Amino acid sequence: MSRKIAQGSRYALLTVALLFSLAPAYWMLTISLKTEVDQFASPPAWFAFTPTLEHYYDAFVTRGFGEYLFTSVIVAVASTVCALVIGTLAAYALARFELPWRLNRRLSLWILSTRMFPAIVTAVPLFLMMRDVQLLNTRASLIIVYTGFNLPFVVWMMRGFFADLPRELEEAALVDGDSRLGALVRVVLPLVSPGLAATAVFCLIVSWNEFLFALVLTQTDAAMTLPVGIAGRVTQYEIKWGVMSAAATVAIIPILVFALSVQKYLVRGLSMGAVKG
Amino acid sequence: MPALFLAPAIAVLLALSIYPLIYSITISLQQGTAAGVIWGLGNFTRLLSDNFFLTALAHTFVYAVSALTCEFLLGLGLALLLNKQIRGRGLFRASLLIPMMLPAVVVGVIWRLMLNPNFGAINETLKQLGINTASLTWTASPKLAMLSVIAVDVWQWTPFVFLVLLAGLQAIPQEPYEAALIDGSSRWQTFWHVTLPLLKPSILIVLLLRTMDLLRVFDQIFILTEGGPGFATETISLYIYRTAFRFFDFGYAAAMSFVLLALTNVISAIYIKFLQAKETI
Repeated sequence: MSRKIAQGSRYALLTVALLFSLAPAYWMLTISLKTEVDQFASPPAWFAFTPTLEHYYDAFVTRGFGEYLFTSVIVAVASTVCALVIGTLAAYALARFELPWRLNRRLSLWILSTRMFPAIVTAVPLFLMMRDVQLLNTRASLIIVYTGFNLPFVVWMMRGFFADLPRELEEAALVDGDSRLGALVRVVLPLVSPGLAATAVFCLIVSWNEFLFALVLTQTDAAMTLPVGIAGRVTQYEIKWGVMSAAATVAIIPILVFALSVQKYLVRGLSMGAVKG
Repeated sequence: MPALFLAPAIAVLLALSIYPLIYSITISLQQGTAAGVIWGLGNFTRLLSDNFFLTALAHTFVYAVSALTCEFLLGLGLALLLNKQIRGRGLFRASLLIPMMLPAVVVGVIWRLMLNPNFGAINETLKQLGINTASLTWTASPKLAMLSVIAVDVWQWTPFVFLVLLAGLQAIPQEPYEAALIDGSSRWQTFWHVTLPLLKPSILIVLLLRTMDLLRVFDQIFILTEGGPGFATETISLYIYRTAFRFFDFGYAAAMSFVLLALTNVISAIYIKFLQAKETI
């Protein structure tokens, strides 16, 4: 009997936690689908309202959110690809070559430490540097900055995945006359492809969500990402709640799809490989 | 050969982390005055008498300590609740994680909607319970604004603490528990003497990662309050942003950013000392 009560209260507590964590996002979803009359209904309509897509049309067709969305996609994909190529090469070298002067460990720690700077510390000089080379308000500036931002993460994640792999596999390929790069591409990468995919997804999420650098480096409609576009609307005086919620809902969708696909690697990814969950 | 593999990564990091840092040091040592640029520690000495900076520093500590405490206790509680074989565990776990994955800007929008005094779900729900909400203006109220932004951080980041601690709990072997059972330990004793010590590495890592993020917090507060009303929720990162990109005093902003950097470094060094004492890294 007391077992049943314990079990019951466990479910009750978990359900409360679930409601707390999901209801706010659901509330935003309803606002994006409600007419303005329904948005201000009192008591609030959680379920009973007539859905409309007018705010989505308004945001992405009439206003500039379509362009911001496009920028977000380009920047996230391009920076992820760059970080993966550069980072995987470095990770492989750190995991497989015996470097002199204990460089394996020292370089790894140095690379990790570059990721530990608070973003605002590098945002100020990066803004001035980008101004000097006239890259302010370009997508290129964000691709460059996000590549640098994701690189330490890729190195640490991939180094862990390479280290988990037995050396004999590529030694066989090397004996067969493959070059190091050939062995990496043909033998090793296919074996770590789940890890590589998870790493890519984390980079995409980070680039997609990033706000501070995007805010500092891009102020024009042509180069703005979705988060900066949304933020610009929030802080204006007259707020179009439906439009904002529609844009924010669209910003969530790829993240949810991605996050569910990497559940298995979440702990490892979020702790930079420090915890092997 | 290894040099060729490593060169691109090192070049990128030198250009995008080390060079900016050096650049930032040089501008932090310059003060623009009517008579021209003066080199020296002027920006740093100015910090000590800048009440806005000291207030922002205090806000950052209040924010970090309160949010960290709540997130840790709630995250640990949830992890313990889910560390059992129960039906629907995968679904609970996946759903509880959603807030943490959301872009900070979206979290800002969500909570602007929730906390809106006129039509927000929080006040509307309180009204239905018969509570007078006239004074509950949340992010617009000087008294409640800090509480509001902390609550939003707890909402978004408790799942992360929960996730790491749950992984830590599941990595604990069964034997110590069986031994405790044989010894006749109570559940509380088992928790205190078996679970907590074995969970310590996970706890330290999650506290380290959260502390770093809390000290540099910017995004959600920028969206929710922009540091206001007045100066009520201004943290160091927001004050640095304002100084650099509203007042264009880059030298002073750079100087402040080094204080933030030093602060996060010192605190992370302390955590890492504890971690290495346990030989987990």
